[in-house]
Amino acid sequence: MSSTMLRRLIVMSLIVLWELLPRCGLVPELFLPSLSSTLAAGWNDAAEYGRALLVTLYEVAVAMVFACGGGILAGAIVGSLPRPRLLIMPMVSSLYAVPLVILYPVFTVWLGIGPESKIAFASIYGFLPTMLATVAGIQTIDPQLLLAARSMGATLGQRVTRVMIPAAIPTVLSGLRVGGALVIVGVVVSEMLISSGGIGYLISRYRTILESAHVFAGVLLVLALAVAFNALMRLIERRSAVWQTGSRAGRNAMVQETAAGLQPARPG
Amino acid sequence: MQPLANITPLKPTARDGAVQISGVGQIYRTSGQDVVAVSEVSFEVKPGRFVVLVGPSGCGKSSLLMMMAGLRRPTSGAILVSGAPIDNPDPNRVGVVFQEPSLFPWLTAEENVEFPLALRGVARKTRRAKAGEALQLVGLEGFGSRHPHELSGGMKQRVSIARGLVQDPPLLLMDEPFAALDEQTRMTMGDELLRIWAATGKTIIFVTHSLTEAVYLADEVIVMSARPGRIVDRLEVGLPRPRSFEMLGGDTFGSLRDRIWRHIRKSA
Repeated sequence: MSSTMLRRLIVMSLIVLWELLPRCGLVPELFLPSLSSTLAAGWNDAAEYGRALLVTLYEVAVAMVFACGGGILAGAIVGSLPRPRLLIMPMVSSLYAVPLVILYPVFTVWLGIGPESKIAFASIYGFLPTMLATVAGIQTIDPQLLLAARSMGATLGQRVTRVMIPAAIPTVLSGLRVGGALVIVGVVVSEMLISSGGIGYLISRYRTILESAHVFAGVLLVLALAVAFNALMRLIERRSAVWQTGSRAGRNAMVQETAAGLQPARPG
Repeated sequence: MQPLANITPLKPTARDGAVQISGVGQIYRTSGQDVVAVSEVSFEVKPGRFVVLVGPSGCGKSSLLMMMAGLRRPTSGAILVSGAPIDNPDPNRVGVVFQEPSLFPWLTAEENVEFPLALRGVARKTRRAKAGEALQLVGLEGFGSRHPHELSGGMKQRVSIARGLVQDPPLLLMDEPFAALDEQTRMTMGDELLRIWAATGKTIIFVTHSLTEAVYLADEVIVMSARPGRIVDRLEVGLPRPRSFEMLGGDTFGSLRDRIWRHIRKSA
């Protein structure tokens, strides 16, 4: 059996179990409402969930711009200048290990319990991995490529736009993947803590009134959001990093070269 | 820079590929110590000649090549290429091929060859046409749309040569271009290069570690000593052209190779 098949089978059986276990009474509906009742809860209050989703999407989108844009910009600057890199990077790396969620209550004091505090928190949360990846991406650029570009008369600006940026893209994208995921986490978590709207807020509110089906409907929505983000990232990665597909093609080329009789002409 | 007392400068507009080096030295500092990489090197290369630089590792032959490419400044002395000083890389006068093919992995073979033209804002159509010609010259017709990872080591180095030739510079500098290739590919690439040289009439200055390669390719071999790099011998290779594999076993070939080896053994 192929791994794809197996994966699908696992997902399918989880879905079936989700429906069957509560129905047969093996698990109380309070702990795990069946899939059908979860979907029904979501459907009946679709308007409420829709509004919440819009709030969350708005927060995620704005935070994404700050986290990714800022992370790439800061990473590019710090990564290409050796002195700031030595000064700043140790601080950034250790900051990365701090559970930033402890700052969230402070943000609500500064910015209120509306979307602003969530955007601020999620931006910072996603900013760090994006910046770290961009710095790494710039540092791993093959200096030989820059030398070659210089030998062809590339100016500094051309070396940045035509060599450094494209060379850093794959590493930066993997940073975006982590950073973007953390933005979603940051938004939802902060909504659950202190807020007045969004999916996280709905989940948290329904939990306090023991409406398990509605809680799980919110969970499903967040899950869908994460899956959609992942699919989007995959699409971007596939479009922009075609060349990263490994060295197998190179070996094939060698075989073809011999087979096609690509023989050089004799001198003279 | 020292006055060019013993050099008669050509007209600055000439693009004949002649190289005039007088009293060139290079000193660089590492951990507070001055290292003399190249010392008092003077020689001239007439247009259209194939000259090979050999010497033990670290004898400054690559440094010398980098200076001729305008990628490094000499500490003392002067270098004229096509009759004019070379202070910065000038792809119209000098093409450079490195040991690593140094191709941009996100560009196709064709786009890699076009790169130096694109830097200068040459129109797309002209670029395509010129890249096509260059690829044809190195025997890679029909491989233009491949990415570097889809090419073998020898093919990559051909693309790199095509890129060095695309602006039709009268002088081609090659820094151990075949060192990373296997023996068989290396031999065919040598023949290929001689064919390209004969077809284009360019001046080629070629750095190598291989004595066989040096004698096989060159009109003239310049032997350098270990650090500080100086010229210890210049040999005319009188072997007729086109060179052929059979010459490798001949007496002339053997005695030339032995003479180079004696110099290198002495200084190593």
